[in-house]
Amino acid sequence: MEDYKFLFKVVLVGNAGVGKTCLVRRFTQGIFPPGQGATIGVDFMIKTVEIDNEKIKLQIWDTAGQERFRSITQSYYRSAHALILVYDISCQPTFDCLPDWLREIEEYASQNVLRILVGNKVDREDREIPAQVGEDFAQRHSMYYLETSAKEAHNVENLFLQIAAELMEQMRFKELPRYEQEQAHSINGRTTAIGDSCCSRLS
Amino acid sequence: MNKAIIRLKNSLNRGTQSLFRCDFHTSDAINQHLEEKVILTKDRYPNMKRGKFAELQGSHIQHFINLLGPTRVLTDPNDVEPYNIDWIKVVRGYSGIVLKPKTTQEVSEILKFCNSERLAVCTQGGNTGLVGGSVPVFDEVILSMSLMNKVIDINPLSGTLICEAGCVLENLDSALEEHNLMMPLDLGAKGSCHIGGNISTNAGGLRLIRYGSLHGSVLGVEAVLANGDVMDVLNVLKKDNTGYHLRHLFIGSEGTLGVVTKASIHCPPRPKALNLAFLGTDSFKNVLNILQLAKSCLSEILSSCEMIDDPSISAVIRNLGVNSPIGQFPFYVLIETSGSHTAHDEEKLNAFLEKAMAESYVLDGTVTNEPSRMQVLWQLRERIAEALLKDGPVYKYDVSLPVEHFYGIVPLLQEKLRGTSAEIVTGYGHIGDGNVHLNITSKFYDQDLVHDVIEPFVFKWVADHNGSISAEHGIGFKKTEFLHYSKKPGAIALMKQMKTLMDPNGILNPYKVLPED
Repeated sequence: MEDYKFLFKVVLVGNAGVGKTCLVRRFTQGIFPPGQGATIGVDFMIKTVEIDNEKIKLQIWDTAGQERFRSITQSYYRSAHALILVYDISCQPTFDCLPDWLREIEEYASQNVLRILVGNKVDREDREIPAQVGEDFAQRHSMYYLETSAKEAHNVENLFLQIAAELMEQMRFKELPRYEQEQAHSINGRTTAIGDSCCSRLS
Repeated sequence: MNKAIIRLKNSLNRGTQSLFRCDFHTSDAINQHLEEKVILTKDRYPNMKRGKFAELQGSHIQHFINLLGPTRVLTDPNDVEPYNIDWIKVVRGYSGIVLKPKTTQEVSEILKFCNSERLAVCTQGGNTGLVGGSVPVFDEVILSMSLMNKVIDINPLSGTLICEAGCVLENLDSALEEHNLMMPLDLGAKGSCHIGGNISTNAGGLRLIRYGSLHGSVLGVEAVLANGDVMDVLNVLKKDNTGYHLRHLFIGSEGTLGVVTKASIHCPPRPKALNLAFLGTDSFKNVLNILQLAKSCLSEILSSCEMIDDPSISAVIRNLGVNSPIGQFPFYVLIETSGSHTAHDEEKLNAFLEKAMAESYVLDGTVTNEPSRMQVLWQLRERIAEALLKDGPVYKYDVSLPVEHFYGIVPLLQEKLRGTSAEIVTGYGHIGDGNVHLNITSKFYDQDLVHDVIEPFVFKWVADHNGSISAEHGIGFKKTEFLHYSKKPGAIALMKQMKTLMDPNGILNPYKVLPED
């Protein structure tokens, strides 16, 4: 078995076409897949990263955005340590659907899963959702917020590394008294409260 | 393109398309070299001697016409030619006649007459075999079962099917679907192969890991012996311990002991929940780890476990334009689950996948329960034979090995064949039951390479590793001289005694299964 300190399961959700698969492929393979077809079911891959000299293995699950292909995805929420909710900053309907996705997350995911809202495709010039609107939505729903471009590799690695770091941090907090866990953490300087984590330590 | 070739194309296209399977007979890959005349078997194997059988006379033909009528006796060379050639175009007989009976009684009359006249007979189903068992070696009378294609009874309560031997496997599965049942076997040729041929060759296929072999699924058969006697052991009981289980004589004996005309088959319930995972991994060791984990995590819902190597997938991508949904890896594993409860199955599959990734057995993958996506994923496995054939002649070996040796022969062969006319050596197959399909593509058909280098090496290596030289394709014509690698002399002697007892004149599928004395 490969040597690693922590194993975290990260699940990406969001409407079809927002770039979930491209984000994953950019991070795991360093490529932006041209003409990427719709994900049908769930794609998954692993990537090992290093944070503070500790090896962390990320299990990344990329789910189908299209309703008719989503029947299989719900069982994959349950054991997730982090959920990345992706929308397309140049497509208003993908943002409008976020409450529906949050309802699904509430229903199927663990209560204290780490949640990150990602506005993808910042390389596009036809932005429809201002960054502030996305950030406000994230704050209202206790989520981190980050904008990315899978195409130009902007903030993609940062996204996953920050998630790994945050989850690792939560693991460490587990060993501290409960009250010390109620503090703020941030990605890119933005803050939100993080509760107890559902992660388990593997070493 | 001449008439014979057009007819051959049509005959190869007999089957209907399956939702989850791509019937390899519908592709031009199979037919691309048809303009090149296939060498007659008697010329390709000059040491083969024709048995002491009668030659077809006008009086024989007239007798058959009187029996079947003129439309069910084919004698026009253009009509007969497709039945003389196997689908991978390696063996070719020169029979002058094809008989198409519709009833057991007609089969009985044909065999009775052929036996009395010492006319050798080659029984043929969908002609999808890979060892030359279903076409004549010389000029044997071809007995085509294609018109014996009636479903006699489906009993949803007991889960049993009774049908004639010429029923196409896929058509049977479709008929059973209405009763929420399914055929217990599934293979790439399901759109063309006949159940009689499946039984006669004890075909394995993709579901053996779940539903077992036809020795378990076939409850009974009706078969016609060489002298025309009808052997009716068409039982539908799952338990019957009354003496010798005679049906087993006809399962896997490749038409050498009798002609199967009807069968009763135990058919399992059709699963309500299907999932398919396609996984990429970096070593054969991890393929074995995935298999072991799948068996322990998925147990009763595991219905298929297939391994594919990179050269096989690359051929499908290169030659058929099918895309792989994941990155490139040395090995891939296809895992299918089938059960009755969607949430339960997904839960188990999820746990399996998480564990497989946690242990780094799986590096990349995709899972789906969407029929169209499943069809695409299955093509990556099912169309390998078709894809490889696009590159030229293919030498195919279907062997069983202890699972730890499943892939061991491939790198050895790659090394051994370097610098010869052989091009690609691939290994793929049913890892769940230790059945590897070894395929070697070549620039041209090289008889010396096959006979002097590949076959002795492959079969000896398999024997040395306690394997079988034929896992599911049978012995047919092509493997008779290698039978001793898998059967001890005493066993072969007993097989010959049984053949002599049941077919004293040796008219049934001669030159097949048993080595020449």
